[in-house]
Amino acid sequence: MDFDYTPSELMAVAGARELQDKEVVAVGLGLPVVASFLAKHTHAPNMTILFELGVINPQPVDCGVGLADPRVWYRANVLSSFVDILGEVLHKGRVDVGFLGGLEVDQYGNLNTSLLGDPKGKFRHMIGSGGANDIASCAKRTIIIMRHEERKLKKTISFITSPGYITGGDSRTRVGLSGGPSRVITDKAIFSFHPDTKQMMLTSIHPGITLEDVLGTMGFSPIVPKQVPITEPPTREQVRLIREVIDPQRMYMG
Amino acid sequence: MTKLTTLNEAVSSIPPGAHLALSGFAITRCTMAFSREVIRQGINHLTISQCVGAMDADMLVGAGAVDRLIYGGGSLDRFGRLNCVNRGIEDGTLAVEEYSSLSVAFRYLAGALGIPFIPIRSLRGSDLMAQLKEQSGSNLANITDPFTGENWPVLKPLLPDVAVVQVQVADEEGNAWIMGPRWDNAEQVRASQRTIVITERVVTDETIRQNPERTVIPGLFVSHVVELPFAAHPTSVYRAYDYDAEQIQAYVEATRTPESFRVYLDQYVYGVRDHWEYLERIGGLQRLTSLQADPVKGY
Repeated sequence: MDFDYTPSELMAVAGARELQDKEVVAVGLGLPVVASFLAKHTHAPNMTILFELGVINPQPVDCGVGLADPRVWYRANVLSSFVDILGEVLHKGRVDVGFLGGLEVDQYGNLNTSLLGDPKGKFRHMIGSGGANDIASCAKRTIIIMRHEERKLKKTISFITSPGYITGGDSRTRVGLSGGPSRVITDKAIFSFHPDTKQMMLTSIHPGITLEDVLGTMGFSPIVPKQVPITEPPTREQVRLIREVIDPQRMYMG
Repeated sequence: MTKLTTLNEAVSSIPPGAHLALSGFAITRCTMAFSREVIRQGINHLTISQCVGAMDADMLVGAGAVDRLIYGGGSLDRFGRLNCVNRGIEDGTLAVEEYSSLSVAFRYLAGALGIPFIPIRSLRGSDLMAQLKEQSGSNLANITDPFTGENWPVLKPLLPDVAVVQVQVADEEGNAWIMGPRWDNAEQVRASQRTIVITERVVTDETIRQNPERTVIPGLFVSHVVELPFAAHPTSVYRAYDYDAEQIQAYVEATRTPESFRVYLDQYVYGVRDHWEYLERIGGLQRLTSLQADPVKGY
């Protein structure tokens, strides 16, 4: 290979590959924005991008500090409301993919964005749900993007803000939820979920990373198939789009 | 009928212990001048609600004006967390009902429609639901759908005493336009007993009548209209002005400890007589001009 890419760029590209043309995608800020815009600029031009507060298909020319920044609403098709986007699109069942990040994720894809520590004792409160719980509950599938660290990929998380497969098996369906996480994308590997037990399952390892690197930096043991493929690296064009078009100020990619 | 009044008058209509729905979202269209005046007038024991916690709520909590917060989580975006809210939750001095964004929006919607409860798909299987159910006087229950027999979580309507909404344009009667996304504001207004409109600009009745489809808040819901430029500073107002990054950063730094926040309050809230003096303190016309929105981009 004759060009470099960063782990974040690989994650964004892996996220983009999960999205299909004509899908409706609910997005939070950061890497998911880069992944979604990348998909829209390449193989999924007819994808619909939603921001929870009431934004459909913006075409920003400047990077924003968050969803509250008018920079990320620029040239939208629609500027409306929570009830419109999270209610009449998401809750109604029209969102195909939700993109979520978090502080902690467990082996069943449950996500914590609320607090670290013991919720009944000493803890640090962080952010909370925003639209994350709604997206995790109502989207047809969710993709989780986060750093691959032992303190983030944990056997037991401090708080379930957004449900994945809860305690595994059919526990998600039993509380009346369909959908659920389809992928977890980290800077070392990509995971999916076992069709029956709903445990996290290694799907591919990023180029240059060993199985030991992956397993040694997680707080639980995922299911590891006999053959684990290597994640397809980004193309030169994908990296160019990220650097020159989508995130030229490097606000989302750090 | 004109409802035009001063910020001082509008704020003094709020009794201690009132439930206020505030229009802010993180760092945009926050009711900042209003919150600073609430703090100066010493109105406390408030309940604050909003779908996503914002700077207006955080400042009121930090100043000790709030007993209870009903929200769906929140932050100051990349600038930082809601330090005052988080501290209040951690040390137990702030009673909090924490939901998801849509749960709070649905509670407002139920309040706006005058229905007794609203079913929701969200919250199931989460610790948010577990935590809400443990709270005394829980506003969440489960029912069986009479048509399908399915089990559904239901939420109680949210009925604030006063919605306080920062807008771009309103007439003297309170018919108001909100440019850009409105997040939960339309439902907040309709769920509340009455609304205080804080507007960047008051326009004539004729101006509203020329483009009535832009009206998000009908005057019939409004008790007070306050015309106050840069009333959301340091947060942004779409198509009017950008957020003041330097000032928000200073706020985040100041809110790290109660002691440093006390210094901030002395400088920017207690230490100024009114909103005009505040605007001078943060740099006056020169600073404000630099924040003015580009007419095409809106920021």
